[in-house]
Amino acid sequence: MISFDKVTKRFGSNLALRDVSFDCDAGTVHAITGENGAGKSTLMNLLAGVFPADGGEIRLRGKPISPERPADARRLGISTIFQELTLLPNLTVAENLFLGREPLRLGTIDRSTMRERARSMIARLGSRIDIDAYCGELSVADQHLVEIAKGVSVDAEIFIFDEPTAALNAPEVEKLGELLASLRAAGKLVFYVSHRLDEIFRFCDRVSVLKDGQHVETRATKATTRDELVSLMVGRVLSQFFPARPARRDAAPVALSVEDLRVDADGPQVSFELRFGEIVGLAGLEGQGQRDIIRALSGLEPGAGGKVTKSGEAGPTPIGTDVVKTALAGIGFVPEDRKTEGLYLPLSIGENITLGMLRRLPIWRMVRGRPHVIADLIRRLNVRSAGARQAVGELSGGNQQKVMIGRWLAAGIDVLLLEEPTRGVDVGAKAEIYGLLREFTDGGGAVLTVSSELLELLGLCDRILVVRRNEIVAELDGAQATEEDVMRYALVGHADA
Amino acid sequence: MLDLARKSRRTGLSPIVLALPLVLFVLLCLSSATFRSLENLANVNSQIAALMIAALGQGIVAISGGIDLSVGSVMSLTSAILVTADPAWGVPLALAMGVCVGLVNGFGVTLFRVHPLVMTLATMTFVQGVALLLHPVPGGTVPSYLRTLAVSQVAGLPAALFWCAAAILLAWYLLNRSRFGMRTYAVGANPVSAGRNGIAVTRLKVACFVLCSLSAVVAGIFLTARVGAGDATMGNPYSLDTVTAMALGGVQLAGGTGSVLGIVAGVITLGLMSNGMNLLGVSPFLRAAVTGALLLVAIGLQRREAIGA
Repeated sequence: MISFDKVTKRFGSNLALRDVSFDCDAGTVHAITGENGAGKSTLMNLLAGVFPADGGEIRLRGKPISPERPADARRLGISTIFQELTLLPNLTVAENLFLGREPLRLGTIDRSTMRERARSMIARLGSRIDIDAYCGELSVADQHLVEIAKGVSVDAEIFIFDEPTAALNAPEVEKLGELLASLRAAGKLVFYVSHRLDEIFRFCDRVSVLKDGQHVETRATKATTRDELVSLMVGRVLSQFFPARPARRDAAPVALSVEDLRVDADGPQVSFELRFGEIVGLAGLEGQGQRDIIRALSGLEPGAGGKVTKSGEAGPTPIGTDVVKTALAGIGFVPEDRKTEGLYLPLSIGENITLGMLRRLPIWRMVRGRPHVIADLIRRLNVRSAGARQAVGELSGGNQQKVMIGRWLAAGIDVLLLEEPTRGVDVGAKAEIYGLLREFTDGGGAVLTVSSELLELLGLCDRILVVRRNEIVAELDGAQATEEDVMRYALVGHADA
Repeated sequence: MLDLARKSRRTGLSPIVLALPLVLFVLLCLSSATFRSLENLANVNSQIAALMIAALGQGIVAISGGIDLSVGSVMSLTSAILVTADPAWGVPLALAMGVCVGLVNGFGVTLFRVHPLVMTLATMTFVQGVALLLHPVPGGTVPSYLRTLAVSQVAGLPAALFWCAAAILLAWYLLNRSRFGMRTYAVGANPVSAGRNGIAVTRLKVACFVLCSLSAVVAGIFLTARVGAGDATMGNPYSLDTVTAMALGGVQLAGGTGSVLGIVAGVITLGLMSNGMNLLGVSPFLRAAVTGALLLVAIGLQRREAIGA
């Protein structure tokens, strides 16, 4: 029904999909799987009309298609259940289900028809959600169910489920399985994007594995095993641009101690220590809680319980409840989205760095630029710019990231928390950033980082903590761990798949 | 009451929004005999009618996530047009002017991504200028049929009451019964999600601004007819008074929350305040201070949850 033929998609200099070719048949549930960043969502977004392909062809029943907007895809009979919610909090469940295609009677909204049909749509999912409740009152799981109900109520031939079970509980997952079976029986083609292996084997007929934007293989689920799938997903080559790791120093003092941290009230607890002189990475599949942990430590989104202490000259300081206090305790946080959460884009490089140094000064003190300190730092970080007066917004991603890190270095912190340290950074600058981080830890600092790029963690970190469902399931030695080791823990939670 | 609390996510209604006008009414009835008289009540009604009509339009824009400061200037220009143009053409010309201003506001906010505050501040200033150029000195005569429509009595009830009722009914139908209304709430809560649900966000926002300007034109027609003369500054207080009334009525400027009932309550509250204090001989300066304080207290007590952000 759908054929991908040499499909290619580029984001800047980054090749997200390369010559992907495979076919999918009507009446099947087709799983798309792979590591973070393998190109699963990108491929589905092409089909859903979120953005167009750069090369190759997608054919629907032999005819080439190129949906440019979600509305185009819907007209072609493709319905997508996106991972992010599109429900409106101030509309009821019934209203949300019919938003954009409201049933009318005499020019007014036909509420009785709307509610009746909404009720049967919800019942089909085996849920008891009140259709007159406002969506803003529902739990996240219920909101996802409503989203699914909306997606499958569309009269379409092809359905795309992008990580549908991420927020669902076991009985709802079960119901989803029945729903998938009924769609299959009705002769529809269902794409099921997931890295949950057990669901792939339970719900899907065929599975396509992507790796590094390339199609590895498509198999019938009956003709393969978990082990085979995992080995198809991994096996990328580690590049050589990572700095050398120092010899392990277990005796180094603890910089940050995390005890029984919970990121959500009924979730599991997390405990670990970060020592001076080491780089520790939190690995895992996307959305498993790594990001919540580092955000909780930064004080940006405080956790639901637990104790985080930072050691320092002034003795141990509790942190993690307040961003300002955390920064004053000597902890710098580099967010994933440096443009909106980190840097002041219209301000100059010099001003951005100076703002870091100001944190201990009373607010009425006059700001004195320290040109030589800034010039020194720019040279040390190798920021390529027209000088300290250039606006940060005009710099490339890599140079912005260097300024972001430089600001914390200028502020004299000794613990650095980084989210996606090299997102949107070109290859050359990546190596420089890795070097900077290693230099920082060699000088006595400590680094904790979260990255969806597994290879980056494997190349950079001294220790890797694997997070799965808000829990640390394994601690691996960075120098020895392989991609396969980490993926096994991340996918199934224990060593033997 | 439980239902009220639940629905407040969308309506912005809270007990205080609804109680304020009632409490004021009772207090004024008790403290002033003049206030209780039928004549005065009819007077209050005709005083607040223009505000009511304009505030309903303002409310629709606010629910869609915008704000329109040009309301007052549009009323002023309407007044200027009515007394300068040929009597047969005054009303159609004014309505056409309203559509134009609404389109400019709407397209400025959507296609050119100007913040609604700045966009409508610009049109407010421009339109005010045009009004003064057209009719610099207050005066002139209003077509007699308009005068009749605004001040006569029908079955013993003042005409103003019918103007209000018509505006309220139309706004209620639009917001609560039509597709347009549901989509306006959706766009106000989260335009990106609304777009993903297949709603033409730009078109809808433009329509809201056009509706708002049109309601300002109607308010201007009523006010001019009631006063009986043209005045190119008569709308001045309305730009901000409509926002005050709306906020008193629980409409949230963040978009997605508000209701016709709330706006009506807010307008009545504001109207009773100024009429009552006037009767009680309170200085107009103190009146302004009290109104500001009341607004702070009222919104302080309301549900404070930005939605959709």
